[in-house]
Amino acid sequence: MIQFKNIIKSFGPKTVLQDVSFDVPKGSVFFIIGASGVGKSVLIKHLVGLLYPDSGEIWLDGQEISRFDEAQMGPVRRKCAMVFQHSTLFDSMTCAENVALPLRKHKNLSLKAALAEARQRLEIVRMEEFADRYPPELGDGMRKRVAIARALTVDPTYVLFDEPTTSLDPVSARRVDVLIRELSDKLGVTSIVVSHDLTSIFSIADRIVMLYRGKVRLQGSREDFKNTPDGVVQQFITGRATGPFEL
Amino acid sequence: MSNVAAPGPESQRHSHETIEHPYEDLGAVGMLGAAAIDLMVGGRELYSVFVRTLYYVARGKREKGALARQMYEMGNRSVFFLSVTMGFLGMILVYQAGLQAKRVVPDYTLLGATYLELLVRDFAASLGALMLATRVGAGIAAEIGSMVVTEQIDALRMCAADPIDFLIKPRFLASIVMTMVLVIWAGTIAFVAGAFTAYFAFDVPLQTFFNHQLVDFGDLAVGLTKCLAYGAAIPIVSGYCGLSTFGGSEGVGWATTRAVVNTSLAIIILNFFISGAGFLIFPG
Repeated sequence: MIQFKNIIKSFGPKTVLQDVSFDVPKGSVFFIIGASGVGKSVLIKHLVGLLYPDSGEIWLDGQEISRFDEAQMGPVRRKCAMVFQHSTLFDSMTCAENVALPLRKHKNLSLKAALAEARQRLEIVRMEEFADRYPPELGDGMRKRVAIARALTVDPTYVLFDEPTTSLDPVSARRVDVLIRELSDKLGVTSIVVSHDLTSIFSIADRIVMLYRGKVRLQGSREDFKNTPDGVVQQFITGRATGPFEL
Repeated sequence: MSNVAAPGPESQRHSHETIEHPYEDLGAVGMLGAAAIDLMVGGRELYSVFVRTLYYVARGKREKGALARQMYEMGNRSVFFLSVTMGFLGMILVYQAGLQAKRVVPDYTLLGATYLELLVRDFAASLGALMLATRVGAGIAAEIGSMVVTEQIDALRMCAADPIDFLIKPRFLASIVMTMVLVIWAGTIAFVAGAFTAYFAFDVPLQTFFNHQLVDFGDLAVGLTKCLAYGAAIPIVSGYCGLSTFGGSEGVGWATTRAVVNTSLAIIILNFFISGAGFLIFPG
């Protein structure tokens, strides 16, 4: 279980997160939604020590981790893998080498053993035939799948997806949705998904939290969101151009 | 010492934030104070990058092929640029020295020997390293800076790969080796170019110009120490500039500019101190 408690984060004079608190139940597909720039990606980066909160606490399976140093973050990052918005594969490495990197570093496997396991992981996301290709030779959707394979190599309990369907065509986007859902249903992985893709949200989310102007506006199930009388939430989830929603 | 990988400058900044001017609301004294604090923080972080690089070098684990790739990038790809610039600089230096000598003592017998001593002790390493700072330093900062703004550095950290170990260390080792090799090569080019300039402009015979009687152990020691120091400074300073990038493509541009300026500055300052120490240890 993950708990964000009263998280405050500023960049210079701009306060991005103002007293954000919510819990992420284990095994769920949990969406964090909100307008661009509201701090969704910033929030999940706190969980793996890529950013540190100005104040507040982050609890991961009963352990407060918000003040962990880089060395202490190692096990946390093994438990919580992250798929970045732009895939962030390393261009100088083949797809197999990209997937093998966390195996070598986190699990201390030899290069040969890591590459062999990487090929198996690529098979899961149906990318095995591209194992020896370099990321620039692949499309966005394919790169995203390799990035997901890389994140899953360390058998994480939690996977953080930062806008996984952004810049993908509809078919690739839905395939990613299916993959995220299957992770939860078949492997019991908890997925935290930062997104404003309404199709994804209303097809695979178990729980949703909406950030608005640095604060939690609403959290609940898909039904809670559909039925809320809150005009701001309604405008966001229906995608209307006019209404009370302020950017 | 596994906790040396403390959060670096890149971790504390939001990679998508735009470049702002944080001191514009401060008065003159406030701006000066803020700049001084920034300088101290920057110095401490630069030192941290250097120490962590040394730690990973001492630990000995290496990525297969990374060192060879960096040596090729820094060395082979700089040969032409360095040869041309040092060749022309050699010609200019000898021509100007010849003109001065003509006015004062119209005797060119020690022109080659003096020029060789100057090259070995100072100019080959310092001018060569300044040229390398523009090509190699800018490249390192741009590459690492781009990785910061595209979150690849964050991805590395998520893979338990410290960016210092993965990116800076191979560049550090490659730079030390290739700076040494390139400076010796570039110094040779500068000397040969100078010899032909002396021959054609002042009728100095080549056998008179090729005279190493003034070069002693002290000159060699100082020259090689400079190669070592510059070779270490270029990847550390430019790597630090790359890692502290923020603000998207504009930030990468800033990081690249800072890398060239700061690396050049580091070379000049190191030159001052190593030359000073050299004159104390090896006088004459």
